[in-house]
Amino acid sequence: MTTAILTGLIVGIIFGFIMQRGRFCMNSAIRDTVLLQDYTLLKSVGIAILIEMFGFGLMNAAGWIEPSAKPLFGWANFVGSFIFGIGMVLAGGCASGITYRVGEGMMGALAAVIGLATTGTLTAMGFLKPIMVALRPAEATSPTLASVFGMEYWVLALIISIVAGAIWYFAARNKEDDALVVDSSASLNDRVFKKGWNWLVTGIGIGIIGMISLPISAAAGRNYPLGITAGWIQWVKVVILNTEGQAVNWIAAMVLGIVIGAFIAALIAGEFKFRFPKWGMIGQAFLGGLVMGFGAVTSGGCNVTHILSGIPLLSIGSFLAAISIALGAWATAYFMFVRPNK
Amino acid sequence: MSEETTPTKTLDVCGKICPYPDMNTMTTLKKMTKGEVLEVLLDYPMSVERIPRNLKKQGHKLISVEQIDGPNHRMLIEAFGLK
Repeated sequence: MTTAILTGLIVGIIFGFIMQRGRFCMNSAIRDTVLLQDYTLLKSVGIAILIEMFGFGLMNAAGWIEPSAKPLFGWANFVGSFIFGIGMVLAGGCASGITYRVGEGMMGALAAVIGLATTGTLTAMGFLKPIMVALRPAEATSPTLASVFGMEYWVLALIISIVAGAIWYFAARNKEDDALVVDSSASLNDRVFKKGWNWLVTGIGIGIIGMISLPISAAAGRNYPLGITAGWIQWVKVVILNTEGQAVNWIAAMVLGIVIGAFIAALIAGEFKFRFPKWGMIGQAFLGGLVMGFGAVTSGGCNVTHILSGIPLLSIGSFLAAISIALGAWATAYFMFVRPNK
Repeated sequence: MSEETTPTKTLDVCGKICPYPDMNTMTTLKKMTKGEVLEVLLDYPMSVERIPRNLKKQGHKLISVEQIDGPNHRMLIEAFGLK
């Protein structure tokens, strides 16, 4: 086992463990704002992004990392990510959400992952590739907020994360939050391994693993923090297509690690169970996965690549992708759930 | 206390993908009259935590959440009567 596979697995296991304990899913985070007026998971995402931005800033200032943003693809970001947003609501989970839920034994999530890997591969190297190419500009640059303002990345990353964090703290400090009340009747062991984590603990956990994933992944020759879709595509290349010269790499090991980590967490919590929804729902999840795979590769990344990793890197393409994912998800949630129930 | 509550209606959302456990519960509650009790059987950890959090907004009252085994839970909810 190479070092890249080992470190990928370890990062994935921790990431998967945290996601299972915190029920961390960006589909829910975004969708539930319109569906249930529930902002709990969105706050986890926000905390995670701020911690990563702060951490990347510090590590860049120290010279440990050289941040690399995803390219700005314009229409491909907008259209691809909008389609991805539609797909994740159909699938009942974002790219990371469906991945960790495979480890909980949810067969609907497995169907979605298979769909994502299928069209992801077909868009990266199959018959869907011309559509992606047509949507992308002939030449793409990778602007960031820092490069636009002519600043050093670390300066702006530290300023934004500290200012946003301070504003959030002062706005929220006097507000009561039921979700943060500690259940003192439960032992620490139960609070960690048996009960779901609150949004703050979850957000901090995700932020820390996202932050340390960058230097670890860079040491394996992949200078980018967490991602999902590329890992599943790599498994298709290695296992199913037997593509010459392709082997299990850091990101492939990482996504497998997520499934293992979530499986361990679910097993300890007693939450592992094979869950088979009706075939119609499995079909819907698979279709959602198919839609997500095309959208993710077209836009140059899924929700993890763009929202969890790209926003902390201040990538303009990722900001555009993040907005489009949210718009696609909100529109779909409205037509699927809000309107029919009016 | 909750043992004595007899549910008016039972909803089984086991196995369903996100967010159907929540949505089915909410739409069923919407059609019930005030004071009727809905029993929800569910096995999706996120919804076990999310449904109680969002019930209050509609005025419904959570009577109990009981773990049957593993992820399987039984929830009793008193409808606010939105009908």
